[in-house]
Amino acid sequence: MKPEVPSVLGEMAQLLVRNADQSVHPADRASALGLTALLLGFAAEAWDAAAHHLVQENRAVHALLVRGAAYAPPPAPPAEDDLRLSALGLENARLMAALIALHTTVELRPEASDLNEAIWAELRASTERRKTASSVV
Amino acid sequence: MAAPLESRIAAYVAGRMAEAREVQATGLTRISGGASRETYRFTLAWRDADGAARERKMILRRDPPASLIDTERRIEFEAYRAFRGSAVPVPEMLWLEEGSDALDHPFFIAEEIAGFQAAPALLWTEPYLATLEKLGAHKWTILGEIAKADPAGLGLTEVMIPVALDACWDRELSYWEGVLDDDEAEPLPITRAAIRWLRANPPPPAQKLSVVHGDYRTGNFLFDEHGTIHGVLDWEMAHLGDPLEDLGWSFNPVWSFGRPEAGGLMPHDQAAAVWEQASGLKADPAALHWWTLFNCVKGQAIWISSARAFIDGGNREPIMVAPPWMLQNAQDRATLKVMGRL
Repeated sequence: MKPEVPSVLGEMAQLLVRNADQSVHPADRASALGLTALLLGFAAEAWDAAAHHLVQENRAVHALLVRGAAYAPPPAPPAEDDLRLSALGLENARLMAALIALHTTVELRPEASDLNEAIWAELRASTERRKTASSVV
Repeated sequence: MAAPLESRIAAYVAGRMAEAREVQATGLTRISGGASRETYRFTLAWRDADGAARERKMILRRDPPASLIDTERRIEFEAYRAFRGSAVPVPEMLWLEEGSDALDHPFFIAEEIAGFQAAPALLWTEPYLATLEKLGAHKWTILGEIAKADPAGLGLTEVMIPVALDACWDRELSYWEGVLDDDEAEPLPITRAAIRWLRANPPPPAQKLSVVHGDYRTGNFLFDEHGTIHGVLDWEMAHLGDPLEDLGWSFNPVWSFGRPEAGGLMPHDQAAAVWEQASGLKADPAALHWWTLFNCVKGQAIWISSARAFIDGGNREPIMVAPPWMLQNAQDRATLKVMGRL
């Protein structure tokens, strides 16, 4: 999730302190606290599985990149020695950028239609991993 | 510390109502949402030249420090004014202030159309549930009226930039692709695939140059319990372009709120037929599909811009986090759905 959960939680902590000040207009306080509650709910829902999903996704995307080696040299496998979300997210961004490049190539190659379909399947799976209970789609 | 907002609003309005005395702004309440503008409702009270007490409910829309969309408030203000008194219900615009002295940021003040609802969640509860088809018919009739209107006759070609009929799609797609290039905080493989498809399969030229509201969807109009719309809101993305662009935005699956109908209101083919009837234009299915997918790209650009404003520190309000957290993945799923991949 962008912005990253820790930076949002940090900001919300400061926001709560600011809203404890009596000089804050009640209209602004009500708006800020209502939205803060909503975001805390989202963070709570995503938190437990976030690292697991990123590890799963990074492995799946790298497997696709290896499969597409005939079209583009695959990047290094995903690093898993640092399981902080920020580190896993950087690995995810590196691999997803390579996947976009591979997808751009293989979607124009009829002989690579199986790989093209596999990429679409992984993209669909990535939205399933990130889907929240209140998702509108 | 600055004076309370109510007294600053009252001072500003007093300077614009020469005959008014004892001007007061009371009951200031911030309306949740509004990531592109801070929106407040308040009651303005004053005595007129005869000494009679007057009162009117009003809306203040003020620019935030950084927004999820970059818009010209004058365009929004003039769009509202252009449709005032037409078949497109809009609130009366009162004052536009483009300077920052009065309330720290530019703003405008309009009448409040009070007594109606805007929250989409209410629509699928009683008593609104029974009115959805009627509401949908009114919604897409109004959209057809916007599409049918003559931008020059409304005076809007003075403030909105015209575009050639065969260039509407490229101007919009290039603009929002540029926003994605500038603001994305992580690679977006689904959105990028959609952009490649859109460029490889451009739509036909627009049937006419229309006013495009830019954000006409369930949630941006005021409705009653009889299925009637009383106000079309949030014109900050209004521009000139292909009238199918607005129809495509209203068909973006995220605005169905988990229901199968267009906008959560009525079947897509019925909505398109209502729009055709009101506009006198054709909703060619292939062209409409292009514009619906385009609007998935546009939506994603808006959500990630909101994230960018937070990440860069331009606006650290929680309202900037809600759109990307709530809608970025849903928008990806909507894109897959429109592309036949979900």
